[in-house]
Amino acid sequence: MKVFVIDVGICNGCYSCQIACKDEHVGNDWAPIAKSQPDTGQFWLKLQENIRGTVPKVKMHYVPMLCQHCDKAPCMPACPIEGAIYKRPDGLVIIDTEKCTGCKACVDACPYNAIYFNESLNIAQKCTGCAHLLDGGEWKIPRCADSCPTEAIKFGEESEFKALIAKAEVLKPELGAKPRVYYLNIPKKFVAGTVYDPVEKEVVIGATCTLTGPKAGKTATAKTDAFGDFWFQGLADGDYKLTIEAKGFAAKDYDKLNTEKDINLGDIPLAKAKK
Amino acid sequence: MPDAKRKKVGVKPSTKVDVKPDKTVYKSLALGGLLGGGGECSIDVKDGKAVRIRPFHYDEKYTKKHLNPWKITRNGQTLEPLMKALPGTFSLAYKKRTFSPNRIKYPLQRVDWDPDGERNPQNRGKSKYKRISWDEATTIVANEVKRQHKKYGPLSILVQGDGHGECKTIHTPHGHQGRLLDMMGGFTQQVRNPDSWEGWYWGSKHVWGQGFQGMMSPAANLIKDISENCDMVLFWGGDPETTPWGFTGQYATRICYFWTQANIKQVYICPELNYGAAVHADKWIPILPNTDAAMQLAIIYMWIKEGTWEKQYIKTHAVGMDKVEDYVMGKEDGIPKTPEWASKKCGVPEWTIKALAREWAKKITSIIHYFGGSYIRGPFSHEPGRLECVLLGMRGLGGPGVHQCQITYFGMPRAEGLKSVRYFNPQLSERLRIPCRTTIDAWGKQLIPKTLIQDAILKPPLTFMGSGGQESGVEDQFIKYTYPIAKEKGGTEIHMMWTDTPCRITCWNHGNASIEAQQSPKIEFVVAQHPWLENECIYADIILPANTTLEVEDIVTNTRQGPHFQSVTLQEQAVKPIGESKSDYEIVLAIAEKLGYGEKFSEGKTTRDLQKDVFDTMEMGDLTTWKEFEEKKYYVYATAKDWENDPPGFRKFYTDPIKNPLPTPTGKLEFYSAALAKHFPDDQERPPYPKWIEKGVTHDERISSERAAMFPLLLMSNHGRWRTHSQGDDISWTRETPTGKVLAADGYRYEPVWVNPGDAAKRNIKDGDIVKVFNERGVVLCGARVWERMSPGVIYVDHGARHDPIIVNVDRGGAINTIAPDGLTSKNACGQATSGYLADVQKVTEKDYQDWRKIDPVTYDACFAREYDQASGLRFNAWVEGGME
Repeated sequence: MKVFVIDVGICNGCYSCQIACKDEHVGNDWAPIAKSQPDTGQFWLKLQENIRGTVPKVKMHYVPMLCQHCDKAPCMPACPIEGAIYKRPDGLVIIDTEKCTGCKACVDACPYNAIYFNESLNIAQKCTGCAHLLDGGEWKIPRCADSCPTEAIKFGEESEFKALIAKAEVLKPELGAKPRVYYLNIPKKFVAGTVYDPVEKEVVIGATCTLTGPKAGKTATAKTDAFGDFWFQGLADGDYKLTIEAKGFAAKDYDKLNTEKDINLGDIPLAKAKK
Repeated sequence: MPDAKRKKVGVKPSTKVDVKPDKTVYKSLALGGLLGGGGECSIDVKDGKAVRIRPFHYDEKYTKKHLNPWKITRNGQTLEPLMKALPGTFSLAYKKRTFSPNRIKYPLQRVDWDPDGERNPQNRGKSKYKRISWDEATTIVANEVKRQHKKYGPLSILVQGDGHGECKTIHTPHGHQGRLLDMMGGFTQQVRNPDSWEGWYWGSKHVWGQGFQGMMSPAANLIKDISENCDMVLFWGGDPETTPWGFTGQYATRICYFWTQANIKQVYICPELNYGAAVHADKWIPILPNTDAAMQLAIIYMWIKEGTWEKQYIKTHAVGMDKVEDYVMGKEDGIPKTPEWASKKCGVPEWTIKALAREWAKKITSIIHYFGGSYIRGPFSHEPGRLECVLLGMRGLGGPGVHQCQITYFGMPRAEGLKSVRYFNPQLSERLRIPCRTTIDAWGKQLIPKTLIQDAILKPPLTFMGSGGQESGVEDQFIKYTYPIAKEKGGTEIHMMWTDTPCRITCWNHGNASIEAQQSPKIEFVVAQHPWLENECIYADIILPANTTLEVEDIVTNTRQGPHFQSVTLQEQAVKPIGESKSDYEIVLAIAEKLGYGEKFSEGKTTRDLQKDVFDTMEMGDLTTWKEFEEKKYYVYATAKDWENDPPGFRKFYTDPIKNPLPTPTGKLEFYSAALAKHFPDDQERPPYPKWIEKGVTHDERISSERAAMFPLLLMSNHGRWRTHSQGDDISWTRETPTGKVLAADGYRYEPVWVNPGDAAKRNIKDGDIVKVFNERGVVLCGARVWERMSPGVIYVDHGARHDPIIVNVDRGGAINTIAPDGLTSKNACGQATSGYLADVQKVTEKDYQDWRKIDPVTYDACFAREYDQASGLRFNAWVEGGME
């Protein structure tokens, strides 16, 4: 059974996957696996951009979004036509271009918004895992994976990716759809800042930053680096407390830092300690 | 839905889809051009149709063993080549270029240009075109050539035959007309200045000698040495995730990820969170555009103050440190160049400048570029260019891990049997070599720098220092040129322009001035050859349809550094030519035939003869046979067995500067240039040693300027993510990405302008709004992209978007260089200064539109009535009577 394993940590956001998918499918007819994809506006693989933080503590990550080829695919029971949406022995979920009657039930049923409706052909369409190429025998991986310069998109037998899958997550696991697309290294939230001495106009190196939360008693520490920067990464959403302490300076506290959005505390002046 | 309730539909059972191509054709779909390909792709062709474009796999017909893959290691991590090329994303979308609705289908003549009557030069850019036959078109061009020769002499014809373009050798997109006109007595050459690396060309050259067009050279094995020795790398200005796409592809991204794994810290210094910084930066230091020199001086100040520089090295390897020291410490002008001083100019906090200076003094550090971003292309760019050399010198340039590195442009492991990694091979036969010379050499009998074309037409005569030719030596910068040259040498003003792949409006200085010049009555005839009806084409009188690389048979040497392995590919035709298009070579040949030069021009050689010429010139017979090459259609060079022995960068100079001097007058790094002092004793903009230039006779573009009251923001421009300069603006699949174009409420896709949320809020601008970016040189409409990728006080628009004029000096296409400064790099350096200048951004109002219409209702109405394709933009039919028929 095939799986996709996508390492968001090495996705450089080049869009080659999204565009190779268009190259394969726009203006080409691979029926009954896939008919032509509209030139613009629909993305069987869509790169989702995420910009986090504020100047100058800004990070980006990109998540390739495609049909999750779920083992319990919500689109399948929603479809009123027998065999129009089917799961292949290799795990790929296909909408049969000949059987689809254009009722759009699957478009609404897909919790990943991965199914598009082609008005001019009156059919629902989505990623096929390039099943037409895999069946030809010469291709082992779909176009998105072949065009990926960093090998962030991997495709192959579930068994060969066991170790990676163990570290990976699936999207919206609570729905129980059992996706066959696994993601690695999707970043969580950060709290960051730069600590400096406003009198000497110098960064403060080695300040101890202690972050507490979101659960009571859970604490992480970081030291400011040579640029006076501290970074707490991989944080769950929630409320945190931060204390910054450095020798010769008064401690600085932040209460109720909410990480619904990533937090850049900016350049933080530390007052000299009172003698 | 339960199965029992499901409908059954009677359809024939599924069958296997036939995906097998009839043939696979190799093409190089990067856009650098110039006898050196990149972006290697395989195109699957079925029933005469290009079905798919995919990365080329080296190991299709060669074994991994043959390729002898190299290895670079650090901290337990390994960097190795892949078995496939990594073309830039627009290369994979190249079908959209070949089949763009903006392709020119057949030869065109401007409706109100009559060679035997009224020529109406003032209507260039306004009037439409009509279809003519190839016979008519070539006869008109040939007659005009003859007329110019008779009336003024051969030098009245300006050849604009330079720049980047598709990777083709036999059908190379530039300069064929120069070769023809040279056979007929000469021509005036537009000399392409080093538009992407001005500061190194006009600055660094005077410090470390010629280098490679001003950049550090020799540059062997830099990636190995940096990977093995550096603890920190500074990405200063350029973007490894953008600019390499146009030349070789995406290998730089793998090096960056490897450096992250190997714990080599990556610091980005640039006003915008560029695409590299977005995913690779350990630290982003936003800096105001074109103020890098201030921070560089402050770092020197810190090193001198704290005594943390390589004094011994400087003693033996450099001259002029005393002068630099006096200037930096304030002995010369009473102003110490402290971090506090610099912070006010560059916007980087004082404490961050100090921290960077100290970290750099502590850690082995190289500076990484891929051309300049906003860093090296602004007013007085030779100053940051030279200060970079001073900084590297003070750290012991050439020592382990101390280099300037154009990442994946140079510095990759050497290939076995590859004669040169340079994209210009001087051994090639004239038929193949001469057209490319027009891009890199100043070889015309009469010269005009590309930055001065508008002045040559509107304000002759001209004098200028240095031709700006890319391969010209340092000493060329001390030569005074005049235009026109003396009459007895054939000197004359230009009266005809012959342009191929034109892009001056959108990629050079003050594009609005070049439009005005091209409408001058002095210019009696303009002929343009190009695949797409864009940019200067709409200011031409005759337009000739060129075709794209998919449509021709060729051979391309993928010998630039940057793919995993270098290769040579024999390139078949993938699809039939669009409409009546011909290759650029075939177009000029057709005109040569009308002029009686057909045989001389073709040398009687067939495509096969020329392919064999390249094979022989590259001495490929030592590596494979012609027969095998013809069968496989490609040859991949293996890594040289002894590649690791090549000394990295300036190592030999570092080790023994007496035995291995630099090609400077003293043989050392010349922080102080006696040659500059001698030739330009009064030049305040490029003094003998580098300084901070607040303003000068050429530019007044700083936030300290009085002009900043009207135009308070600094505008920066970079190489486009989705274009190589002007190439690729019509790809519907890249235009729909968030950074491609902004689809606005009026249905037009605008070029994005990045605005910081704070600056946007002050102007009531929201993401997606149509805005005007403007200064006294004109107005450019853009789509606002409001986000934290832009630092405050700066707006950012990539250069190269296609020009779409509303009225004079108002552009809708996003061609930002229409409002770039007219002034050169500086008084005695004829480069361009097109990033880091004053402008403002505001919402466009209904009143703006009304005011523009009042100025010229006919042109205004024509603009908004023109047919437009939301997906791909401009359309051929919009300018042609009868449209697609």
